[in-house]
Order: sequence, then structure tokens, then C-alpha cells
Amino acid sequence: MTHSTGHSASLDFPQPEPLDLSSGKYVKLWQGPQHPGITGNMSLELTLCGDEIVECKTHVGYLHRAFEKLMERRTYIQNFTVVCRIAVPEPTFNEYLYAQAIEELSGIEVPERAVWLRTLNLELMRLASFLMWIGGLSGAFGQYTVPNWTLAHRDYVLDLFEEMTGARIYHMYIVPGGVRAGLPDGFEQRAREIMDSTEKLLVQIERVMFNNTVFKTRSKGLGIITPDMIDPYGIVGPNARACGFARDLRKDEPYLAYDQLDFDVVTDNDSDAYSRAYCRLQETRQSISLIRQCLDNAPTDGPFQADMPNVLHWKVPAGETYVKAECTRGEYGYYIVSDGSEYIRRVHVRGPSYTHAIAVMERLAVGTNIADIAGLMVSLHTYPPEIER
Amino acid sequence: MNTVDEVLDYAIDQEQQAADFYANLAERAEKAGMKKILLEFAEEEIRHKERLLAVKTGEHELSPEEEVLDLKISDYLVEVDESPDISYQDALIVAMKRERAAYELYSDMAEKVPESNLRQVFVGLAKEEAKHKLFFESEYDERVLMDN
Amino acid sequence: MNLKDLLSPFFVWQRAFEKPFTSMRPTIDRPGAPAYRGFHINIAETCVGCGSCHTICQNHAIDMVPVAEFEGRPGDSGLRPRFDYGRCCWCGLCVDICTAASLRMSNEYAWFTEDPTEFHFTAGVEDKPWQNNEHGYRRAEGYHLYPPKRIEMDMLPPDESVQSFEEVAKGYSIEQAKKEADRCVECGICVATCPAHMDVPDYIHSIRDGDYEKGLQLMYRTNPVPATCGRICTRRCESVCPVGILGEPVAIRWLKRFIVDQVDAKDYKRILNDQVGNSGKNVAIIGAGPGGLSAAYYLRKKGHAVTVFEAEKAAGGMLRYGVPSYRLPDDELDKDIEYIVSLGVDMNYNTRVGKDISFELLLQDYDAVFLSTGLSVPSSMRIQGEDHLRVLSGLQILADVASGRDPGIGSKVAVIGGGNVAMDAARVSRRLGADVTILYRRRIADMPADIEEIHESQEEGCTIVPQAIPVEIVNATQPDQVTIKWGEAEMVQDPKGGRPRPVLQEDRMHEETYDCIVSAIGQGSNLDFLTKETQEQLTIEWGKFTPGEYQHTPLQKVFVGGDVANRVADAISAIEDGHHAARGIDRFLNPDAY
Ligand SMILES: Cc1cc2nc3c(=O)[nH]c(=O)nc-3n(C[C@H](O)[C@H](O)[C@H](O)COP(=O)(O)OP(=O)(O)OC[C@H]3O[C@@H](n4cnc5c(N)ncnc54)[C@H](O)[C@@H]3O)c2cc1C
Ligand code: SF4
Repeated sequence: MTHSTGHSASLDFPQPEPLDLSSGKYVKLWQGPQHPGITGNMSLELTLCGDEIVECKTHVGYLHRAFEKLMERRTYIQNFTVVCRIAVPEPTFNEYLYAQAIEELSGIEVPERAVWLRTLNLELMRLASFLMWIGGLSGAFGQYTVPNWTLAHRDYVLDLFEEMTGARIYHMYIVPGGVRAGLPDGFEQRAREIMDSTEKLLVQIERVMFNNTVFKTRSKGLGIITPDMIDPYGIVGPNARACGFARDLRKDEPYLAYDQLDFDVVTDNDSDAYSRAYCRLQETRQSISLIRQCLDNAPTDGPFQADMPNVLHWKVPAGETYVKAECTRGEYGYYIVSDGSEYIRRVHVRGPSYTHAIAVMERLAVGTNIADIAGLMVSLHTYPPEIER
Repeated sequence: MNTVDEVLDYAIDQEQQAADFYANLAERAEKAGMKKILLEFAEEEIRHKERLLAVKTGEHELSPEEEVLDLKISDYLVEVDESPDISYQDALIVAMKRERAAYELYSDMAEKVPESNLRQVFVGLAKEEAKHKLFFESEYDERVLMDN
Repeated sequence: MNLKDLLSPFFVWQRAFEKPFTSMRPTIDRPGAPAYRGFHINIAETCVGCGSCHTICQNHAIDMVPVAEFEGRPGDSGLRPRFDYGRCCWCGLCVDICTAASLRMSNEYAWFTEDPTEFHFTAGVEDKPWQNNEHGYRRAEGYHLYPPKRIEMDMLPPDESVQSFEEVAKGYSIEQAKKEADRCVECGICVATCPAHMDVPDYIHSIRDGDYEKGLQLMYRTNPVPATCGRICTRRCESVCPVGILGEPVAIRWLKRFIVDQVDAKDYKRILNDQVGNSGKNVAIIGAGPGGLSAAYYLRKKGHAVTVFEAEKAAGGMLRYGVPSYRLPDDELDKDIEYIVSLGVDMNYNTRVGKDISFELLLQDYDAVFLSTGLSVPSSMRIQGEDHLRVLSGLQILADVASGRDPGIGSKVAVIGGGNVAMDAARVSRRLGADVTILYRRRIADMPADIEEIHESQEEGCTIVPQAIPVEIVNATQPDQVTIKWGEAEMVQDPKGGRPRPVLQEDRMHEETYDCIVSAIGQGSNLDFLTKETQEQLTIEWGKFTPGEYQHTPLQKVFVGGDVANRVADAISAIEDGHHAARGIDRFLNPDAY
């Protein structure tokens, strides 16, 4: 089943009855804020009746660093070092979108080689991010072996980042105008080896995690997103695709080199925590294939940076733009306004976590068991820093 | 001049005469600043003399083997007047030419004397003069031929 | 629930026998990747302290601090970056922007110390174990954060330029100038190097802002002859511009010219708004070259009455009678001069001091005298036959051409020398239709002339014969011709150091006949207008004055400057001398104000 995108957006979902908190039937419980990775530094205020959740409120603000405001006080090149921090496990999507927006406003054409290197970089990022996420989900259901494997393999991918960009987490590689360097000697070989070993790992993960009866029992049927929720809530990415919506910007509005890559949009129909996880597992495999295709096709010489003005007094022509890309969690967007000066006038980051972690989470949590709340939260794959820009 | 000491005494006397020559010219110099420069030349000659005195007492040795660079600048310049309104350029030419003459004198002598010890002394002296010539020619190369 | 799903988790055991992911001694077993952005390395010797790293760092993690061993080094701010590792985020932008490529990062990522103040350190100056690491982040080849190449100036093509005395450099368009101005990193090393300390980064900034009036005001603070300097300055600023270390220096001179080109002479009064008071003091200036003109401008601004005595019939000195008009058109020079004169300077042309009026009289009549009489006597080669009638001086033919006289050079000319005068004489001769050979005793690289001048003279068809030493000039068979004998030179390293010296090779001599030989090997001063007594009282060495701090001399009231008083002998030094003398004279006339 696929759904057309023509759903009328309406928010007339039934509102729950107000709870009588003095009745003695309810207990209030705070989940989080815990770890700044996975879902952390965000908390859920849960109201329980027995071990069933009857109300959920998302609280954010623990991580607020005012990125958007900070950026108004820094030059265009300086902001290049700021944006990566907006999604810790997935910095490069920020780098790409920031660069893309500035290039669009300034009329800069990025050379072919940089286009491929950017695509490679973004897919490596998707792979690293999914590996961490798989471990996170497994952990949320109390299985601690898989996280050890996936985090280790994520680290191997980070090794590749370290080689390619000079850093493991905040790569600062996709700079407005292009990228900062070509691929180092022997990179391709090492990348292929790591792709092979990760591919093998995914087979094992499928066995021990996805075929695990405990995992299946707990995640199937948990947190079902119904098709009528997709448009009103603005649900995107694997959360929508697991509900049968074949929406993927890489296909729908191809950017970078995606129109030259061979892949199909992964979808599923069950739309529960398991189904979403399975979609992501498939997309992880797809990433490996895309990385291999990039390694096959990326030019090995030629310029990787467009002719640039002096960044020390770089003024971006006045104008505004919204640019978007498919990150692991769906459509990720940057809205940038320039008034023609050396400083950004306004930047707005559109991360999918805003809706997934607040509105969607608050709705899906109602009726679930307290023991499953962590698993549910992870199954939506949200990053608090992109809520609090 | 049959002994080493005699030869050295002659050479020492020559340096003193040169010093006197510049000192005398300095007395009469008309152009501003030239007095000072000519006195510096005189001092340079006194330094040459002191070196030879040191050779005589054995504190210092001549080095007849040494290769000295010859810039050949003075060889092709015209003779100039040693007049009171001498310019810096001309003063240098006078100095270069004097050192060149001394160099040629000692070289000649070295050819003529049969005795090998004495010949070595003459060759050594010629080398000394070649060094003095190089000193003034370098100065000329730097200051006068600046744009050239 | 099926059995397979129940058993499947037990496959974890498969991995139990594999070697662990973790390493026991991470910092030892696992060095950072070859391009890892670890702790900073600065090659302090190569660094010039431009401070671009400081400017770009969004974390304010870099302070530029003075380091004694580099203070006072030419082309060096004497500062070096000091890193604060409490702030750094290891973005490496400082490395990317480094103009000297002296800043890089090591692949070292662990540093343990008990003393937190150590994390604040001057890289390359304080010894750190990673300073010599072979690996670590470097800016990649082909990656730039500012354009390394300059915007080419449009020039008359050489086959056209030799046809006339039209200005060769056409000047930047607004778009070109803005692009070129964009390349400046605003370090200010140029300001320190410019003899007049012109405020280069700020006037370049005014070009980016399109505010040329402000640019003009900034320039006049230190240089009242900018239309001229924007064309012919020796631009020492460009030789130290750090953008030129890895790329081409910012075209500072052309940008200066661009500002002046944008402003109409009739707007100068309004824009510069120079107020001239009346101090009741009179100053005499001898010589209306750039030195005298600059002194006149700044003295007028201090309110002193200024009277200029000039032997020629127009002002400008060597800029008018030396520098040819294809480099500096007369109306551009006049643009500068007319504004200065318009401030109420009393100009006395055709008045040679020592002949038409005595120096002693000036000393009596004026409260101070500034003397900037330049170098007008061509140096002599002192070789046999030099007094031949067909041996001309470069200065003479340039002066002839500037005054509209025919220097009579014929059609085959040899120019002797390698300085600007030689290049000008050669290119002027080309324009008069002659075949030109330039004989120079050293290598082309040793020529004191501006490198662009050398290239342009070659493009215009002058043949440069380097390592050629003239030894004698003899009569040719034709009476209106002359023959020069010259020998090839080998460059020999002076054991005492310094640049290699040319040594004549007597077995490689040549002889060639020309219509004339133009000698342009330098020039000296003519101080005959001063009596011997006066000369005694002034300090003079090698034909030049050696003035004190304020361009003053031991003779009270007398200040000197320009080519007769400095070793550099270029226009901008003369301008600075004039400005500085004006300060000195004002101090002398107005001691209470200081
Ligand atoms: C051919 C040539 C090319 C050059 N090219 C360049 C260049 O590209 N860039 C650069 O920066 N510099 C260049 N220079 C050097 C530059 O012109 C001089 O450094 C500068 O003009 C010196 O200024 P000044 O005021 O000291 O003297 P001058 O410009 O020489 O002016 C001296 C003035 O004093 C007058 N004068 C002399 N004696 C008397 C007297 N007794 N009574 C009255 N007036 C007197 C003279 O007539 C003259 O007008 C060039 C010079 C020459 C000759
Ligand atoms: S690496 Fe980045 S943060 Fe650190 S000093 Fe350099 S510019 Fe500043």
C-alpha cells in the first residue's frame, strides 16, 4: 500500500479527556533527560495509570545553545564551523545544507569532483548514524550486545572520516564552495574493506536482533503511525516510509549525484517500531551500496573547490533560500536569509525531530507500557539538538 | 732586497706611504664628506701595515697558496686625477689602481728572484695586495656600480 | 513465535572468538590519521605574523603576541599566534587561511599536563613534542580561502605601446578593482613597510565599500602625490604583502591609482577640505620634486607660508623630466601638483638657487629652508673613450623627450645599466624607433629595475644582454657612430658573502657598433649651489646628506630630504621625507606646541 501525498492536512484528532490528577489513580514520572547522544537531553513527563501511560509531554531546552542566533554574529566562513554541531551524530547534513544555501545565494557552481565527494561523505554519514541508531534501539530493548558491535563498526566508519576530513565527529569538510580536500591515498581500498565487514555485520545483526523473538515481541505493534497522521504531523523519512509513503528527497528531488546512483526507496507497511527499524536496516545496506557507487564514480582529479572570494570579508548577495536534503530522519532543511552584509540575517534549521519527538511522540506514547517508552522513543529516531537550535 | 726581512721592510714602508698619501689628500679634500672617507682609506692602509708587521715578528703568516678573487674592475678604468675635488668614485679608482700596481710589482719580483724562500714571500705579498684590491673593488662594485 | 527466532540470538557466540575492537594503549597503538586535525604546529621562521588566523578564528582562540626574536624583521609584524586550547575547536580554518603556509596541525591528539596554563601556548615558539610531526592537517593543494592570483591590469599590447607615449597601464574598472581589493587580508604589514606608512588596508577597504572619497582622504593623510604613486611607486608594500607568499601580492599600487582615477580633480577641495591657517612663519623650499611638493603640502596644512624655488619651468622634478609619460602622463602628475599649489603655495619657476638667488639669502629671509634637490648628475663609467660624442646619458635623453626635444639617438642604440633609468631610456628609445640592446653587468635577476619594467621592456622588443661588462669605447668607421667593446662576465660567489659578483672573462670579448650609447648606470647629486663653507656645516657622506631624526641638519633652520638625503632614492621616500621634514620644521617653528 502506498499513499498519495494528497492527504488533506487536518489536525482534528480526538483530544484526550482532562485527567483528575488528585484522584490518586495516577503517578507522574520523568523519563530523561539523560545522555546527550541517542535521544538524550530531552525529557518526557509521563502520567501513568498503573504501568500504562495515559499522558506524555515532551520537554526540551536542556541543550539550547542558540545556534541560529550565534550564526547571526559570525561571518559566513566562521559559521561553517558552527553548523556541524546542530546534529551531533550527523554533522555533515548541516555542513552540506549550509554550503548549498550559501552557494545558491552567491551563484557559486561546485565542481563535479566536490559533488561526488559530498555525496560520498553524506552516505558515509548515514551509515555511521544508522549503525549508532541500531545499537541504540537494541539497547533500549535491553539487548546490550548489538550496541557494542555497531558502535565499534561506526568507529571504523569514523576512521574513514578521520582520514578523509581530518576529524571523527565534527568533520567540517563540506565547506561553502566545495570540499576541503580530495581523498587520501589508499582511502578507497580501506573504505571498501570496511563496507565489506559492515555488510557481514548487518547479516549477523539481522539474525541476533531482528530475528530475536524477544525483540520482535516487544517492538511489533508498538507505536503505530497511521497513514492519516503522516501529513498533518509532517512525518518524514523512515517514519513515513515504514507507513508505506515512498518519500525520499534523494529520489523525489535529486540533489548532488543522487540522480546518477542506482537505488530504490525502501518502504514497509506495518508502521510500528519493528517496521521502522527494519526499514532503517535496509537503508543501512542501501547506504553501503551507494558508498560503493560513489567510490566507483568519484573523479580522482580536478578541482574540488570553486573559485572563492576572500572569505575574510565575504558578503553574500541579499536574498533568501530554503534548501533540503534527505538525512537519516527525513527531510532536513535550511532556510537562510542574507541582507547582503558580511553576516547572516537569519537562519532557520528545519529538523524532522521537532515533530517526531514532540507532537508524534506525545500521541504515540499514550496507551503504551512504561517499559516500552524508551524503545518507542528511539524508534522515532530523534535528535534533541536539532529541536533546540 | 736580498733577505726576507728586507723585503718585508720595503712592503711595510709602502703601506705607510700609502697611508700618508691618503692622509695628505684628506687634508686638501674639498668635497663634503670626502675627508672622512680618505681618512678611512688611510686607516685601512695602516691595518695592512700592521698585518705585515705581524708577519715580520712571526705572529702571522703570509699565505702564498691562497686563491684570491680578481674582479678585474680597475684593469679597465681610466686613470683619474688625484685632485682636491676628488669624488668618491675617483678616490676608489685611485685606491684600486694603487693596490693593483703593488700586486703587479710583487708578482714581477716573484718571477725574478731565484731563491725559492724569497719567492714565496713575494707571492705572499702579491696575494696580500690582491686582497686589498678585492676590498676596494668590492666597495666599488657595491657603491658605484649599484645600478649597474 | 517460532523456534528459529528463539535460537537466532545465540549466534552472538560466533563473535566471541574474534579479536576485540578495543585497543589497550590507544594513543600509542593508534596514531591520528595522516591528515588529522590535532595540535597546532607553526613554523615560526616562515610565519610573518599577518594575523589572518586570528581574524578567522570564530572562537577567539588565537591572540597575536610579540615574540622578541622576530620583532623588527622586515615584512614581519613580529607577532606570532598564541593558542588557547580552552577555546579551540580544531576546525583548522586558521591553517586554511594561513598566508605563509607556516601554520599546520600535527596528528597528535592526546596531551596530558597538570598545569592548565600550558594549554595556552605560542606554537612554534614554545617547544612542543609534536612540533616536528611529519603528519597532520595541511591545507590541501588547490584549496584556497582567498583568491591567490591577482586581477590582471589591462595593458596596451606591446606592438601598440611602442608606437606612442600613451599610458601603457589602462587602470582597473570598478569591477576589477573590487575583486582585487577583496584579496587583501588586512594584516597591515604593508603599512609598516611603506616608507610613508600609507594606510593601505583602510583605503583598500574603501574600494570594497565603493567609498572613493574616503579612500582619497585616507591617502592624503600620508601622501599628497597619489595619482603619481599609484602609477610609478616602487611598491615595497607589495614585496611584503603576505598574500604574495603563496600567490601574487595584492596590486596595492594599482588600487591606489584606481581611487584617484575615480575622483575628479575639481572635487578635491570639497572632499579633502584642507584648512590652511596663518602661522606668520615663512618656509623656503628648494626643488619642486616629490620631496619639495610633499613638504609644501604638509607645511601649508600647518599654516606656514611656503615659497618654492625651482630651477626648471615646471614642478615635478624627476617625475616630470625623468619618468616617461607612458608610465606617468603629465596630466596625472599635474592633478597632484595643482591641488598642492591650490592651497596657496608660492611657486617660483626658472629660479635656480645658487645662480638666480643665493642660498645664504634664503637662510636670512626665511624662518626655515627645506632642500630636496635630487640627483641630477649622471654617473660616469670611467672607461676609455667615454667622452665620445655619441655617448649620451639616460637622464639627458629622458629630459629631452619630456621637454619635446629630439635627443638624436639614431636607429641602433645600446643602453648600459639595469635600473629604472636604463629601462626608461631603453623603452623611450624604442618609441623613437630605435633597435635597443641593454647591456647589464650582472644577471637579469640582479637588476634593480622593477621586474614589471624589465618584462615590459622585453615585450616591447628591447634585447637584454646580461653579464656584459663594457670595457672600452672607440671610434667607429662612421663619424656619427660609436663602437663599444664589452666582455662577458661570470658570476662568482664572494667568499665574504653577499650577492655574487660579476668577473670579466678576458677571453670572451665582443665589439659592436651603434648609433649611440646611452649610459644609465646611476646618478649623483649636484651640491655646487652651496658654498664650501655651507657644505662643511651640513653633514654629507658619499655626496648625500645624512639628516637627523626630523630631517634636520647641523645648520640651524636647514632641513633636507628626498634623493639627496636618503639611500633609497624613490618617489615615496622623498614624499615621506617631505612630510617628516614638515613635522620637524613645525616643531622647530612652534616649539611650544609640542
Ligand atoms: C628615469 C627615472 C625613472 C624613475 N622611476 C621611478 C619610479 O618608477 N618610481 C619611483 O618611485 N621613483 C622613480 N625614480 C626616482 C624618483 O623620480 C626620485 O626618487 C624622486 O623624484 C626624488 O624626488 P626629490 O624631490 O628628491 O628630487 P627630484 O625629483 O630630483 O627633484 C629635484 C628638483 O629640484 C630642482 N633643483 C635641483 N637643484 C636646484 C637648485 N639649485 N635650485 C632650484 N631647484 C633645484 C630640480 O630641478 C628638480 O625639480 C625615477 C627616477 C628617474 C631619473
Ligand atoms: S583550529 Fe579553529 S578554533 Fe582552533 S585556533 Fe584554529 S581557527 Fe581557532
